[in-house]
Amino acid sequence: MQITLSRRINELLVLAVLEAAPAHGYQIALSVEERSGGLFVFQHGTLYPILHRLEAEAKLRGEWHGEGRRRKTYHITAAGRATLQAGAAELEEQFRVLLELVGPNRVA
Amino acid sequence: MLEALARKLKAPPRRRLELIEELGADAEALQEELERRGYDARTARRIAAGRVVPSREVLAELEARHAPRLGRWTRRTGVATGIERMGAAVTAVLAGAAMLAVLWRQDPGAAGGLLGWSLAGVVALLSSNWARAAKGLWIDGDLPVEKRRTLWERQVGLILAAVSLGGLGAAWQGYIALGAVETSSGEVWAAVQRVVFFGVLGVGAAAFGLLGWLALLPRLVTDEACERRISALVTLPFRFAGKRAEARRQ
Repeated sequence: MQITLSRRINELLVLAVLEAAPAHGYQIALSVEERSGGLFVFQHGTLYPILHRLEAEAKLRGEWHGEGRRRKTYHITAAGRATLQAGAAELEEQFRVLLELVGPNRVA
Repeated sequence: MLEALARKLKAPPRRRLELIEELGADAEALQEELERRGYDARTARRIAAGRVVPSREVLAELEARHAPRLGRWTRRTGVATGIERMGAAVTAVLAGAAMLAVLWRQDPGAAGGLLGWSLAGVVALLSSNWARAAKGLWIDGDLPVEKRRTLWERQVGLILAAVSLGGLGAAWQGYIALGAVETSSGEVWAAVQRVVFFGVLGVGAAAFGLLGWLALLPRLVTDEACERRISALVTLPFRFAGKRAEARRQ
């Protein structure tokens, strides 16, 4: 299934953060923001549909902790790691083509 | 924030509870993290809310994601429009027709009578009422409290109507049949059979309505437990619980 580039990038950003360590939603958002130098920011809860979609696709596993005020931690799964790997390669190819078309050394 | 989210979000109660818990905890933790990094409480709160509180579009995306499978299918295929009315009408017609068929088979005279038609009507209404509740639970994912109460009250009323009509029918049959029979035991037995049949039919219709609702009960109980937890959650001393919760805390 063809998915939009921005959606693919968002998914890969989340998976890349979780590959390093399990995290809560807000930690993922902070980490993406910091690691990208503020280039990628998840505003207005946009992170949560991504997390829940990846969880439904078994690329992430959510775990609840605590009682009363529970918190959810996300872990990457083997399927998530595979998606990250394949997605990164695909993205590299897409950007290579894109730069060939619009970059400084574009073919006229 | 949590109060507003709990009010706006349309998802099955269990999913709603999880979303509210997750977003509330994240908003609070993010605010604390930002305060640790030197932001004043007000700014930290504003930034955290901006990151975590879903916009209308995100809310719609979350609702679509957490809708029941059957609900997602009806939306995708476009059969969602009018499905409640259609489902209620179809089940009503089928149940009413089944009731009339049973009556007709046993006693054609009773099926054509006012009480027979009324009983068939009550069974039809019981079915359509049940179909509305089932649609709310398994297609919309949520049966709001007011609607749940209305449907249950209607179901109880119809169950009582079924018992009353069964009793009335039995009495009427008894009056007609027993008044007309001679002393032969065969005729008396046939008359008693008609009386018992109508009584059993009324009780059976009531049991049909009651058992139908009982089938929904486990889901309704779970939903109510989730709703109680949501109410408790928005009154917890979360920083993001809402103005009223904050006022209560102070």
